Amino acid sequence: MLTKLAGGRVYDPANGRDGAVGDLFIQDGRIVADPGPGAAPDEVYDLSGRVVMAGAIDIHSHIAGGKVNIARLLMAEEHRAAAQEPCGCVGLATPSTHATGCRYAQMGYTAAFEPAMLPSNARHAHLEMADIPLIDTGGYLVLGNDDLLLELLASGAGEEVVADYVGFMLNATRSLAVKAVNPGGINAFKYNQRRLDVDETGPFHAITPRRILTALAGAVQRLGIPHPLHLHGFNLGVPGNVEATLDSIAAVDGLRLHLTHVQFHAYGMEGDRKFSSAAARVAEAVNGRPNISVDVGQIMFGQTVTASADTMAQMGNAGLAHPKKWVMMDIECDAGCGVVPFRYRDKAFVNALQWAIGLELFLLIEDPWRIFLTTDHPNGAPFTSYPELIRLLMDRDHRLARMAELHPALPEHTILGTLTREYSLGEIATMTRAAPARILGLTDRGHLGPGAVADITVYTDRPDRRAMFETPDLVFKDGRLIVRDGVVVAFLQGRTHVVEPAYDPTIESWMARRFDERMGQRLTHFRIAEDEMRGGAGLIRHACLPGAF
Amino acid sequence: MASERPTPPVARPVVHRDVVCPFCGLGCDDLTVEEEPPTTLAVRSTDCPVACERFSRTPPAEPPRVAGVPVPLMEAVEAAAALLGAAQAPLVAGLGTDVDGARAALSLAERLGAVIDHALSDGLYRNLAVLQRTGWIATTLAELRNRCDLLLVAGPDPAALHPRLFERWVAPAPALQTPPSREVVFLCGEPLDATRTALSGLPVTVLVGDPAKIGDAAAVLAAALADPSRASGAAGIAARDIAALAERLRKARYAVVAWAAAAFASPHADLTVERLVRLVRDANRHTRCAGLPLAGHDNVVGVNQVCTWRFGVPLRTSLAGGMPLHDPHRFAWARYAEVADAVVWVSAFRPEVPAFPAGQTVIALAPPGTAMADEPAVFIPVGTPGIDHAAHIFRSDTVVALRARRLIDRGLPDAATVLKAIAAALPQEVPAC
Repeated sequence: MLTKLAGGRVYDPANGRDGAVGDLFIQDGRIVADPGPGAAPDEVYDLSGRVVMAGAIDIHSHIAGGKVNIARLLMAEEHRAAAQEPCGCVGLATPSTHATGCRYAQMGYTAAFEPAMLPSNARHAHLEMADIPLIDTGGYLVLGNDDLLLELLASGAGEEVVADYVGFMLNATRSLAVKAVNPGGINAFKYNQRRLDVDETGPFHAITPRRILTALAGAVQRLGIPHPLHLHGFNLGVPGNVEATLDSIAAVDGLRLHLTHVQFHAYGMEGDRKFSSAAARVAEAVNGRPNISVDVGQIMFGQTVTASADTMAQMGNAGLAHPKKWVMMDIECDAGCGVVPFRYRDKAFVNALQWAIGLELFLLIEDPWRIFLTTDHPNGAPFTSYPELIRLLMDRDHRLARMAELHPALPEHTILGTLTREYSLGEIATMTRAAPARILGLTDRGHLGPGAVADITVYTDRPDRRAMFETPDLVFKDGRLIVRDGVVVAFLQGRTHVVEPAYDPTIESWMARRFDERMGQRLTHFRIAEDEMRGGAGLIRHACLPGAF
Repeated sequence: MASERPTPPVARPVVHRDVVCPFCGLGCDDLTVEEEPPTTLAVRSTDCPVACERFSRTPPAEPPRVAGVPVPLMEAVEAAAALLGAAQAPLVAGLGTDVDGARAALSLAERLGAVIDHALSDGLYRNLAVLQRTGWIATTLAELRNRCDLLLVAGPDPAALHPRLFERWVAPAPALQTPPSREVVFLCGEPLDATRTALSGLPVTVLVGDPAKIGDAAAVLAAALADPSRASGAAGIAARDIAALAERLRKARYAVVAWAAAAFASPHADLTVERLVRLVRDANRHTRCAGLPLAGHDNVVGVNQVCTWRFGVPLRTSLAGGMPLHDPHRFAWARYAEVADAVVWVSAFRPEVPAFPAGQTVIALAPPGTAMADEPAVFIPVGTPGIDHAAHIFRSDTVVALRARRLIDRGLPDAATVLKAIAAALPQEVPAC
């Protein structure tokens, strides 16, 4: 079947199209070249005046896995309140799998990636992601606090062996990328250390966080994983942590590095409140180094829940829990999880400044190919607040009006009021489509050229950008219409994106011994078989391009 | 497929190695199971009573029944769908099944607007009630094995429910502590003989106390952490023993407090759990300490995980009103069974179906050979996960999901297939977001 999307204004930054009027053709779930005047489309959508983009891709959203389920359990109040609403799942910080898929699709998103999949919890995360309808998924594997890796590094293992270990783990857990969360810190917390500096040797494994960070960034490069090491940095949320953030950039010494939810890592300690924005320093560092990318982790005001593998940071924040309950878990010699409900208040100085720091980062970092729109769902805010965030980026008057409602001391602590930049539609398309696909190595997504998967979103161009991005007119997934005017009109199953880097399997015999001796689990049972993934029909493999370290 | 040639003789017995045991939630994956003709299984590698008993119960398949009369599967499915289509207040419970079975059961329940619960959720709910009220600090089995230097077991020996707990997770020396030492203290409960044997190389202290007052003991212990010299006694345990234990807890490098809430005898046992959780939290002011709530027979943990991700709320939920409504009291299966007008009971792990009120319409999915007090309206024999079909099950610590494989073929359908067929036989509706 041939479908024609006629006469829309196409924003397709990967192919250099910035709003020019044109037609798109879809056949067998993919975009095809214009078949010429002789072709008779079976179906034509007249999109005159409408805005056409590829389906949006969220590179960092906690949508599945153990900590998400703990968050759901802990947020019983919001689910009880939601049960009273006619369709109360809108805007929940902890939506069900079904609501997650529906809300993303209704906003024009066709893929979202779980950025913190623990090795021991990977099977669970995949089982859960398979129950998210409509969108593609995938997971980033959390490494850097796993006792096996730390033991390897402390024993002086070479880069090659470390890469073999990482390669095995990515294959075994069906992951797309490598994430490091407070490298060494979660492990140190298990030995009652509540803080670990970048150059401090760990309490059990004689290894520093800096070494772990550089080893993982190097392994990612050596294995040729498309996505750079995805780093949740040091001292999350602690005033003055910008030094550690800049130090991390320096530590990788030119290797590619993605700093995630960098808003939480861009804090200075200047001024009368000993808490200040260091967004300008972070932006300067990012602007000058093409090997660095970031996503923001914008906070938005209201009740949410924070869920992170970073038990060391979360234990420090537990006193701020709202409501006053929280969960910490030490997990299976590979990481942990901390779940702390939190309410960001617009009249609180700290929260208002966090909001401003996030926006400063968005506006000061110049290259939309290297900065990504995230709220670190649900940690900064639920992903359903993206349309409002897009409006804040595209509409300076709205931004200033919102700023005027916040804590009165805010203006003297932020340069936000002086920033005149407004994102264009093309920049939004880059940041939410083309760039995420490129940085994850998804070559046939995030763009609208021939051969691309026909994940397409069509909007009415409204001056109120929030309204525009909240309710697209049409959303296509794999060429099928799934959403019309904000209503889900068809259900289908997404796929799971993975990489399968080559590695030397000799490492497996050592690992199998360690699993027998320690984990109470056979290595063969740890490995997730292909037929376990969406019944065997779910994988999309992306190429790795190994490079020398 | 017909074949003229005789089947070549198969070497008997077939030996299955590294078998995953899906039954008690410890996730042992090292079993050797021998298959003897035609479908008998015997565990050879361990004397775990749960594994030995459960793997050995594999009678041949039998046909489904409607009102006691043997019928083909599709007929039973259609009879079940007809009964459920007419039900006003259905209950979909038992839920002793794997992840796929849980998905299918929950979809069916959603379609019916039913109440959902697991047969063994009492123990789980004593823990979840506290998790939802206050949160907690918890750990997993490999952390226990490799980092714990002081294990405090609260209440009755959990090995009664989880037999290989000590052998596999406590007896080996902690590989990630220096020195690799460990001691075990039993508080208000005595170790079973098998536990004493498993722990024969370790220092074991037994503080015999009133098992109905575990919470009191935990509370005085928590209070004593700040200043052990001012400890008081409780539950029949002397103040000096509490003081000594508080001292050890403070000095521990990584203490674990383990309990099996299903075994707590006192009324309002969730309050006992809450006191243990507070003890763990208070101990973290001095050192590291984490709780290990044990539960998980018949994949109750896995089914609860699926329910939580599917609906945002745990089991004991009503799907009658469109939005899931969770109420651990109202929607406990034993209570709701009294008012339900039809029950779907799934028990794929064990040949047991409880007695329901007389006249209750029951559709039972259980292994062949299940004895029932009253003949149910519909009985459909199903295979056991990890015996008759590959299956995903969760370990007690909620983190690790395992895949158990198929060992034998008795020609039994799995619960997921049957439940999906029942849902498909209902009048169709368009799903909504």
